[in-house]
Amino acid sequence: MKNKTFQSLTNPLAKNNPILVQILGICSALAVTTQLKPALVMGLSVTAVCAFSNLVLSLLRNGIPDRIRIIVQLVVIAALVTIVNDVLKAYVYDVSKQLSVYVGLIITNCIIMGRVEAFALSNKPLPSLLDGIGNGLGYGAVLVIIGFFRELLGSGTLFGYQVIPECFYEAGYVNNGLMLFPPSALIIVGIIIWVHRSMNKDLQEK
Amino acid sequence: MSKKGFLGGKNSNAYIVFYSTVMVVLVAVMLAFTSLSLKSKQDANVLNEKKDAIVASLGLEKGSYDKFIEAYVVNAEGEVVSTDAAATLQKLFDLPTNFAAGEFPVFENKENGEVVVPLTGKGLWDDIWGYIALEADMNTIKGAIFDHAGETPGLGAEIATAKYQAQFPKKQIYNNGEFVGVEVVKGGAKEGDIHAVDAVTGGTKTSDGLEKMIKDCLSCYDAFFKARTAAAEAPVVESTEIAE
Repeated sequence: MKNKTFQSLTNPLAKNNPILVQILGICSALAVTTQLKPALVMGLSVTAVCAFSNLVLSLLRNGIPDRIRIIVQLVVIAALVTIVNDVLKAYVYDVSKQLSVYVGLIITNCIIMGRVEAFALSNKPLPSLLDGIGNGLGYGAVLVIIGFFRELLGSGTLFGYQVIPECFYEAGYVNNGLMLFPPSALIIVGIIIWVHRSMNKDLQEK
Repeated sequence: MSKKGFLGGKNSNAYIVFYSTVMVVLVAVMLAFTSLSLKSKQDANVLNEKKDAIVASLGLEKGSYDKFIEAYVVNAEGEVVSTDAAATLQKLFDLPTNFAAGEFPVFENKENGEVVVPLTGKGLWDDIWGYIALEADMNTIKGAIFDHAGETPGLGAEIATAKYQAQFPKKQIYNNGEFVGVEVVKGGAKEGDIHAVDAVTGGTKTSDGLEKMIKDCLSCYDAFFKARTAAAEAPVVESTEIAE
Protein backbone atom coordinates (compact mmCIF):
# COMPACT_ATOMS: atom_id res chain seq x y z
CA MET A 1 0.00 0.00 0.00
CA LYS A 2 2.75 2.39 0.98
CA ASN A 3 4.58 1.52 -2.19
CA LYS A 4 1.47 2.16 -4.25
CA THR A 5 0.93 5.59 -2.69
CA PHE A 6 4.51 6.50 -3.46
CA GLN A 7 4.08 5.33 -7.02
CA SER A 8 1.31 7.85 -7.61
CA LEU A 9 4.00 10.48 -7.10
CA THR A 10 6.77 8.93 -9.15
CA ASN A 11 4.83 7.35 -12.00
CA PRO A 12 3.79 10.60 -13.71
CA LEU A 13 7.38 11.80 -13.63
CA ALA A 14 8.52 9.28 -16.22
CA LYS A 15 6.52 6.14 -16.99
CA ASN A 16 3.20 7.94 -17.19
CA ASN A 17 4.33 11.49 -17.90
CA PRO A 18 1.36 13.69 -18.78
CA ILE A 19 3.04 15.32 -21.78
CA LEU A 20 5.22 12.49 -23.04
CA VAL A 21 2.87 9.56 -22.58
CA GLN A 22 -0.61 10.92 -22.02
CA ILE A 23 0.06 13.75 -24.54
CA LEU A 24 -1.86 16.25 -22.38
CA GLY A 25 -1.16 19.95 -21.97
CA ILE A 26 0.75 20.35 -25.22
CA CYS A 27 -0.73 23.78 -26.05
CA SER A 28 0.77 25.60 -23.09
CA ALA A 29 4.02 23.69 -23.58
CA LEU A 30 4.35 25.43 -26.94
CA ALA A 31 3.40 28.86 -25.69
CA VAL A 32 5.44 29.48 -22.57
CA THR A 33 8.73 27.76 -23.30
CA THR A 34 10.67 30.33 -25.33
CA GLN A 35 12.56 31.07 -22.13
CA LEU A 36 13.48 28.99 -19.13
CA LYS A 37 12.09 31.26 -16.41
CA PRO A 38 8.45 31.40 -17.55
CA ALA A 39 8.62 27.66 -18.27
CA LEU A 40 9.74 27.03 -14.70
CA VAL A 41 7.12 29.34 -13.19
CA MET A 42 4.43 27.79 -15.36
CA GLY A 43 5.52 24.29 -14.27
CA LEU A 44 5.36 25.28 -10.61
CA SER A 45 1.97 26.98 -11.05
CA VAL A 46 0.49 23.91 -12.70
CA THR A 47 1.97 21.74 -9.95
CA ALA A 48 0.36 23.88 -7.27
CA VAL A 49 -3.02 23.92 -8.98
CA CYS A 50 -2.93 20.22 -9.81
CA ALA A 51 -1.89 19.21 -6.29
CA PHE A 52 -4.48 21.33 -4.48
CA SER A 53 -7.35 20.62 -6.88
CA ASN A 54 -6.67 16.90 -6.48
CA LEU A 55 -6.49 17.25 -2.71
CA VAL A 56 -9.59 19.40 -2.31
CA LEU A 57 -11.73 17.37 -4.69
CA SER A 58 -10.55 14.12 -3.15
CA LEU A 59 -11.64 15.43 0.26
CA LEU A 60 -15.00 16.47 -1.16
CA ARG A 61 -15.47 13.40 -3.31
CA ASN A 62 -18.13 11.73 -1.18
CA GLY A 63 -20.30 14.84 -0.91
CA ILE A 64 -20.26 16.08 -4.50
CA PRO A 65 -23.61 15.55 -6.23
CA ASP A 66 -22.97 13.53 -9.41
CA ARG A 67 -25.02 15.79 -11.62
CA ILE A 68 -22.92 18.90 -10.95
CA ARG A 69 -19.63 17.05 -10.59
CA ILE A 70 -17.88 18.82 -13.48
CA ILE A 71 -19.13 22.23 -12.36
CA VAL A 72 -17.79 21.67 -8.85
CA GLN A 73 -14.44 20.65 -10.30
CA LEU A 74 -14.35 23.74 -12.47
CA VAL A 75 -15.18 26.05 -9.57
CA VAL A 76 -12.42 24.59 -7.42
CA ILE A 77 -9.86 24.66 -10.24
CA ALA A 78 -10.82 28.16 -11.36
CA ALA A 79 -10.59 29.46 -7.80
CA LEU A 80 -7.13 27.95 -7.37
CA VAL A 81 -5.94 29.36 -10.69
CA THR A 82 -7.22 32.82 -9.78
CA ILE A 83 -5.28 32.66 -6.52
CA VAL A 84 -2.12 31.51 -8.33
CA ASN A 85 -2.55 34.34 -10.84
CA ASP A 86 -2.91 36.89 -8.04
CA VAL A 87 0.16 35.55 -6.26
CA LEU A 88 2.25 35.66 -9.46
CA LYS A 89 1.12 39.24 -10.13
CA ALA A 90 2.16 40.20 -6.62
CA TYR A 91 5.50 38.42 -6.39
CA VAL A 92 6.86 37.76 -9.90
CA TYR A 93 5.21 40.52 -11.89
CA ASP A 94 7.48 40.37 -14.94
CA VAL A 95 7.03 36.62 -15.38
CA SER A 96 3.30 36.97 -14.88
CA LYS A 97 3.23 39.48 -17.74
CA GLN A 98 5.14 37.06 -19.96
CA LEU A 99 2.81 34.19 -19.13
CA SER A 100 -0.16 36.54 -19.67
CA VAL A 101 -3.27 34.55 -20.60
CA TYR A 102 -1.62 31.17 -20.12
CA VAL A 103 -1.93 31.34 -16.35
CA GLY A 104 -5.69 31.79 -16.70
CA LEU A 105 -5.72 29.00 -19.23
CA ILE A 106 -4.38 26.55 -16.65
CA ILE A 107 -8.09 26.15 -15.87
CA THR A 108 -8.56 24.47 -19.22
CA ASN A 109 -5.30 22.49 -19.04
CA CYS A 110 -6.39 18.92 -19.68
CA ILE A 111 -3.92 17.57 -17.11
CA ILE A 112 -5.73 19.17 -14.19
CA MET A 113 -9.25 18.00 -14.96
CA GLY A 114 -7.95 14.74 -16.34
CA ARG A 115 -6.26 13.91 -13.04
CA VAL A 116 -9.25 15.01 -10.98
CA GLU A 117 -11.64 12.86 -13.00
CA ALA A 118 -9.34 9.89 -13.40
CA PHE A 119 -7.74 9.85 -9.98
CA ALA A 120 -8.85 12.22 -7.24
CA LEU A 121 -12.57 11.38 -7.35
CA SER A 122 -11.87 7.72 -6.68
CA ASN A 123 -8.88 7.88 -4.34
CA LYS A 124 -8.02 9.01 -0.82
CA PRO A 125 -6.63 12.53 -0.25
CA LEU A 126 -2.96 11.62 0.30
CA PRO A 127 -2.44 9.58 -2.88
CA SER A 128 -4.45 12.24 -4.75
CA LEU A 129 -2.20 15.00 -3.48
CA LEU A 130 0.90 13.02 -4.48
CA ASP A 131 -0.63 12.24 -7.86
CA GLY A 132 -1.27 15.95 -8.40
CA ILE A 133 2.28 16.90 -7.41
CA GLY A 134 3.70 14.11 -9.57
CA ASN A 135 1.74 15.12 -12.65
CA GLY A 136 2.49 18.79 -12.15
CA LEU A 137 6.20 18.11 -11.79
CA GLY A 138 6.16 15.70 -14.73
CA TYR A 139 4.60 18.46 -16.82
CA GLY A 140 6.96 21.08 -15.41
CA ALA A 141 10.03 18.92 -16.03
CA VAL A 142 9.21 18.59 -19.73
CA LEU A 143 8.51 22.33 -19.94
CA VAL A 144 11.87 23.09 -18.38
CA ILE A 145 13.68 20.75 -20.79
CA ILE A 146 11.97 22.40 -23.76
CA GLY A 147 12.57 25.87 -22.31
CA PHE A 148 16.25 25.04 -21.78
CA PHE A 149 16.84 24.11 -25.42
CA ARG A 150 14.70 26.89 -26.84
CA GLU A 151 16.34 29.63 -24.81
CA LEU A 152 19.85 28.25 -25.29
CA LEU A 153 19.58 27.77 -29.05
CA GLY A 154 17.16 30.61 -29.75
CA SER A 155 18.63 33.40 -27.65
CA GLY A 156 21.99 32.04 -26.46
CA THR A 157 20.97 32.69 -22.85
CA LEU A 158 19.74 30.72 -19.83
CA PHE A 159 17.49 32.42 -17.27
CA GLY A 160 18.36 35.60 -19.15
CA TYR A 161 22.11 35.27 -18.64
CA GLN A 162 24.34 35.07 -21.70
CA VAL A 163 25.92 31.61 -21.82
CA ILE A 164 27.10 31.37 -25.41
CA PRO A 165 30.31 33.41 -25.41
CA GLU A 166 30.72 36.48 -27.59
CA CYS A 167 33.58 34.87 -29.54
CA PHE A 168 31.17 32.29 -30.96
CA TYR A 169 29.12 35.06 -32.53
CA GLU A 170 32.25 36.72 -33.85
CA ALA A 171 33.20 33.41 -35.45
CA GLY A 172 29.90 33.42 -37.32
CA TYR A 173 27.52 31.58 -34.97
CA VAL A 174 23.93 32.83 -35.11
CA ASN A 175 20.97 32.16 -32.84
CA ASN A 176 18.37 29.87 -34.33
CA GLY A 177 15.30 32.06 -34.87
CA LEU A 178 13.06 29.02 -35.36
CA MET A 179 13.55 28.19 -31.68
CA LEU A 180 11.63 31.33 -30.73
CA PHE A 181 8.54 30.15 -32.61
CA PRO A 182 6.00 27.56 -31.41
CA PRO A 183 6.83 24.89 -34.04
CA SER A 184 10.25 24.36 -32.47
CA ALA A 185 8.54 23.26 -29.22
CA LEU A 186 6.66 20.57 -31.15
CA ILE A 187 9.90 19.37 -32.71
CA ILE A 188 11.61 19.23 -29.31
CA VAL A 189 8.63 17.47 -27.69
CA GLY A 190 8.77 14.96 -30.56
CA ILE A 191 12.45 14.32 -29.98
CA ILE A 192 11.94 13.94 -26.22
CA ILE A 193 9.08 11.46 -26.78
CA TRP A 194 11.30 9.53 -29.20
CA VAL A 195 14.15 9.31 -26.69
CA HIS A 196 11.71 8.49 -23.87
CA ARG A 197 10.11 5.65 -25.81
CA SER A 198 13.35 4.13 -26.93
CA MET A 199 14.44 4.03 -23.29
CA ASN A 200 11.13 2.51 -22.13
CA LYS A 201 10.54 -0.46 -24.38
CA ASP A 202 7.21 -1.32 -22.73
CA LEU A 203 5.70 1.97 -23.96
CA GLN A 204 6.23 1.07 -27.60
CA GLU A 205 3.23 -0.07 -29.58
CA LYS A 206 3.69 -3.35 -31.39
CA MET B 1 -25.26 12.89 10.24
CA SER B 2 -25.33 10.67 7.19
CA LYS B 3 -25.69 12.37 3.82
CA LYS B 4 -28.75 10.28 3.04
CA GLY B 5 -31.85 11.94 4.32
CA PHE B 6 -30.19 15.34 4.55
CA LEU B 7 -32.25 17.52 2.18
CA GLY B 8 -33.41 14.31 0.56
CA GLY B 9 -30.17 12.60 -0.42
CA LYS B 10 -27.03 13.45 -2.38
CA ASN B 11 -28.67 13.73 -5.77
CA SER B 12 -31.85 15.55 -4.83
CA ASN B 13 -32.44 19.01 -6.24
CA ALA B 14 -32.55 20.58 -2.78
CA TYR B 15 -29.15 19.16 -1.89
CA ILE B 16 -27.64 20.29 -5.20
CA VAL B 17 -28.91 23.85 -4.77
CA PHE B 18 -27.73 23.91 -1.16
CA TYR B 19 -24.33 22.47 -2.09
CA SER B 20 -23.67 24.90 -4.93
CA THR B 21 -24.79 27.90 -2.87
CA VAL B 22 -22.46 27.08 0.00
CA MET B 23 -19.61 26.31 -2.38
CA VAL B 24 -19.97 29.55 -4.33
CA VAL B 25 -20.16 31.68 -1.19
CA LEU B 26 -17.09 30.01 0.30
CA VAL B 27 -15.09 30.41 -2.90
CA ALA B 28 -16.16 34.05 -3.23
CA VAL B 29 -15.00 34.85 0.30
CA MET B 30 -11.70 33.10 -0.30
CA LEU B 31 -11.03 34.90 -3.58
CA ALA B 32 -12.02 38.28 -2.17
CA PHE B 33 -9.64 37.74 0.73
CA THR B 34 -6.71 36.79 -1.55
CA SER B 35 -7.38 39.65 -3.90
CA LEU B 36 -7.56 42.21 -1.10
CA SER B 37 -4.49 40.99 0.71
CA LEU B 38 -2.34 41.05 -2.44
CA LYS B 39 -3.76 44.23 -3.96
CA SER B 40 -1.25 46.68 -2.53
CA LYS B 41 1.68 44.57 -3.71
CA GLN B 42 0.22 44.24 -7.19
CA ASP B 43 -0.41 47.97 -7.43
CA ALA B 44 3.16 48.64 -6.39
CA ASN B 45 4.33 46.38 -9.21
CA VAL B 46 2.22 48.21 -11.76
CA LEU B 47 3.53 51.54 -10.50
CA ASN B 48 7.10 50.28 -10.74
CA GLU B 49 6.45 49.17 -14.29
CA LYS B 50 5.30 52.68 -15.16
CA LYS B 51 8.36 54.19 -13.49
CA ASP B 52 10.62 51.82 -15.40
CA ALA B 53 8.90 52.68 -18.68
CA ILE B 54 9.47 56.38 -18.00
CA VAL B 55 13.18 55.99 -17.33
CA ALA B 56 13.48 53.51 -20.21
CA SER B 57 12.18 56.15 -22.63
CA LEU B 58 15.02 58.38 -21.41
CA GLY B 59 17.50 55.58 -21.99
CA LEU B 60 18.23 55.28 -18.27
CA GLU B 61 18.49 52.00 -16.43
CA LYS B 62 15.60 50.35 -14.61
CA GLY B 63 14.95 51.42 -11.06
CA SER B 64 16.58 54.84 -11.45
CA TYR B 65 13.26 56.70 -11.42
CA ASP B 66 13.56 58.04 -7.91
CA LYS B 67 17.09 59.23 -8.53
CA PHE B 68 16.46 61.21 -11.71
CA ILE B 69 12.84 62.08 -12.14
CA GLU B 70 10.91 65.07 -10.94
CA ALA B 71 7.18 64.77 -11.61
CA TYR B 72 4.67 67.59 -11.89
CA VAL B 73 1.40 68.43 -13.57
CA VAL B 74 0.88 71.23 -16.10
CA ASN B 75 -2.30 72.68 -17.54
CA ALA B 76 -3.20 73.43 -21.15
CA GLU B 77 -1.48 76.81 -20.88
CA GLY B 78 1.73 75.09 -19.90
CA GLU B 79 1.67 76.35 -16.31
CA VAL B 80 2.68 74.03 -13.50
CA VAL B 81 -0.38 73.38 -11.36
CA SER B 82 0.89 70.70 -9.00
CA THR B 83 4.29 69.49 -7.92
CA ASP B 84 3.08 66.54 -5.90
CA ALA B 85 5.22 63.72 -7.33
CA ALA B 86 3.17 60.85 -5.97
CA ALA B 87 -0.13 62.36 -7.12
CA THR B 88 1.36 62.95 -10.58
CA LEU B 89 2.26 59.28 -10.87
CA GLN B 90 -1.24 58.31 -9.78
CA LYS B 91 -2.63 60.34 -12.67
CA LEU B 92 -1.11 57.78 -15.05
CA PHE B 93 -3.67 55.24 -13.87
CA ASP B 94 -6.51 57.16 -15.45
CA LEU B 95 -4.83 59.20 -18.11
CA PRO B 96 -7.79 59.79 -20.49
CA THR B 97 -9.87 61.35 -17.70
CA ASN B 98 -7.02 63.54 -16.53
CA PHE B 99 -6.22 64.66 -20.07
CA ALA B 100 -9.88 65.55 -20.54
CA ALA B 101 -9.77 67.51 -17.30
CA GLY B 102 -6.80 69.50 -18.57
CA GLU B 103 -4.22 67.95 -16.25
CA PHE B 104 -1.08 66.82 -18.02
CA PRO B 105 1.64 64.94 -16.11
CA VAL B 106 5.26 65.72 -16.94
CA PHE B 107 8.29 63.73 -15.83
CA GLU B 108 11.48 65.71 -15.97
CA ASN B 109 15.02 64.47 -15.74
CA LYS B 110 16.49 66.68 -13.01
CA GLU B 111 20.00 66.29 -14.42
CA ASN B 112 19.52 67.75 -17.88
CA GLY B 113 15.98 69.05 -18.35
CA GLU B 114 14.81 66.29 -20.65
CA VAL B 115 11.10 65.59 -20.20
CA VAL B 116 8.91 62.53 -20.58
CA VAL B 117 5.22 62.85 -21.36
CA PRO B 118 2.71 60.01 -21.21
CA LEU B 119 0.50 59.09 -24.14
CA THR B 120 -2.83 57.33 -24.27
CA GLY B 121 -4.93 56.28 -27.24
CA LYS B 122 -6.80 53.56 -29.04
CA GLY B 123 -5.33 50.88 -31.28
CA LEU B 124 -7.39 48.47 -33.35
CA TRP B 125 -8.75 46.30 -30.55
CA ASP B 126 -8.04 48.03 -27.30
CA ASP B 127 -6.07 50.75 -25.56
CA ILE B 128 -2.54 51.64 -26.52
CA TRP B 129 -0.30 53.85 -24.43
CA GLY B 130 3.28 54.94 -24.15
CA TYR B 131 5.85 57.54 -23.16
CA ILE B 132 7.83 59.92 -25.31
CA ALA B 133 11.01 61.50 -24.01
CA LEU B 134 12.08 64.82 -25.47
CA GLU B 135 15.53 66.31 -25.31
CA ALA B 136 15.98 69.61 -23.54
CA ASP B 137 15.17 71.49 -26.78
CA MET B 138 11.54 70.22 -26.37
CA ASN B 139 11.59 69.22 -30.02
CA THR B 140 13.88 66.26 -30.65
CA ILE B 141 12.64 62.87 -29.47
CA LYS B 142 15.07 61.15 -27.17
CA GLY B 143 13.22 57.86 -26.94
CA ALA B 144 9.78 56.31 -27.10
CA ILE B 145 8.12 53.39 -25.35
CA PHE B 146 4.77 52.00 -26.45
CA ASP B 147 2.61 49.26 -25.06
CA HIS B 148 -0.81 47.86 -25.77
CA ALA B 149 -3.58 45.87 -24.17
CA GLY B 150 -4.66 43.64 -27.00
CA GLU B 151 -3.19 44.40 -30.44
CA THR B 152 -2.63 41.47 -32.79
CA PRO B 153 0.63 39.66 -32.01
CA GLY B 154 3.09 39.93 -34.88
CA LEU B 155 1.13 42.78 -36.50
CA GLY B 156 -0.14 45.73 -34.43
CA ALA B 157 1.62 44.44 -31.33
CA GLU B 158 4.94 45.19 -33.05
CA ILE B 159 4.67 48.78 -31.77
CA ALA B 160 5.73 47.42 -28.37
CA THR B 161 9.03 46.03 -29.68
CA ALA B 162 12.37 47.74 -29.19
CA LYS B 163 13.01 47.42 -32.91
CA TYR B 164 9.95 49.48 -33.81
CA GLN B 165 10.57 52.05 -31.10
CA ALA B 166 14.17 52.49 -32.25
CA GLN B 167 12.85 54.56 -35.17
CA PHE B 168 11.78 57.39 -32.91
CA PRO B 169 14.97 58.87 -31.45
CA LYS B 170 16.18 61.98 -33.33
CA LYS B 171 12.76 62.63 -34.89
CA GLN B 172 11.39 66.14 -34.35
CA ILE B 173 7.87 67.09 -33.40
CA TYR B 174 8.12 70.77 -34.47
CA ASN B 175 8.69 72.00 -38.00
CA ASN B 176 9.94 75.60 -37.89
CA GLY B 177 8.15 76.20 -34.62
CA GLU B 178 4.89 74.64 -35.78
CA PHE B 179 3.65 71.49 -34.07
CA VAL B 180 3.51 68.54 -36.46
CA GLY B 181 3.87 65.46 -34.23
CA VAL B 182 5.29 62.31 -35.77
CA GLU B 183 3.74 60.99 -38.94
CA VAL B 184 3.40 57.19 -39.12
CA VAL B 185 3.68 56.44 -42.83
CA LYS B 186 2.24 53.33 -44.41
CA GLY B 187 4.69 51.86 -46.88
CA GLY B 188 7.64 53.47 -45.13
CA ALA B 189 8.74 56.99 -44.28
CA LYS B 190 10.99 58.81 -46.73
CA GLU B 191 14.68 58.43 -46.03
CA GLY B 192 15.87 61.26 -43.83
CA ASP B 193 12.40 62.58 -43.00
CA ILE B 194 12.76 63.82 -39.44
CA HIS B 195 9.02 64.09 -38.86
CA ALA B 196 7.95 60.59 -39.91
CA VAL B 197 8.45 56.92 -39.07
CA ASP B 198 7.41 53.67 -40.79
CA ALA B 199 4.02 52.21 -40.05
CA VAL B 200 3.70 48.57 -38.98
CA THR B 201 3.14 46.26 -41.94
CA GLY B 202 -0.26 44.64 -41.54
CA GLY B 203 -0.98 46.87 -38.58
CA THR B 204 -2.59 49.83 -40.36
CA LYS B 205 -5.27 50.54 -37.78
CA THR B 206 -2.80 50.28 -34.92
CA SER B 207 -0.41 52.58 -36.79
CA ASP B 208 -3.19 55.10 -37.39
CA GLY B 209 -4.06 54.92 -33.70
CA LEU B 210 -0.40 55.43 -32.81
CA GLU B 211 -0.08 58.51 -35.00
CA LYS B 212 -3.29 59.97 -33.60
CA MET B 213 -2.17 59.21 -30.04
CA ILE B 214 1.19 60.93 -30.52
CA LYS B 215 -0.41 63.95 -32.18
CA ASP B 216 -3.31 64.33 -29.73
CA CYS B 217 -1.31 63.83 -26.57
CA LEU B 218 1.80 65.81 -27.49
CA SER B 219 -0.29 68.73 -28.77
CA CYS B 220 -1.79 69.04 -25.27
CA TYR B 221 1.70 69.96 -24.11
CA ASP B 222 2.26 72.46 -26.94
CA ALA B 223 2.07 75.51 -24.66
CA PHE B 224 4.32 73.85 -22.08
CA PHE B 225 6.97 72.93 -24.67
CA LYS B 226 6.91 76.43 -26.15
CA ALA B 227 7.21 78.05 -22.73
CA ARG B 228 10.16 75.80 -21.92
CA THR B 229 11.89 76.61 -25.19
CA ALA B 230 11.32 80.32 -24.68
CA ALA B 231 12.70 80.10 -21.14
CA ALA B 232 15.76 78.24 -22.38
CA GLU B 233 16.43 80.84 -25.08
CA ALA B 234 16.04 83.76 -22.71
CA PRO B 235 19.42 85.00 -21.48
CA VAL B 236 18.57 84.46 -17.80
CA VAL B 237 20.20 81.64 -15.90
CA GLU B 238 18.02 78.59 -16.19
CA SER B 239 16.58 77.58 -12.89
CA THR B 240 15.39 74.13 -12.02
CA GLU B 241 12.94 75.65 -9.55
CA ILE B 242 9.38 75.35 -10.64
CA ALA B 243 7.55 78.62 -11.05
CA GLU B 244 4.23 78.91 -9.32
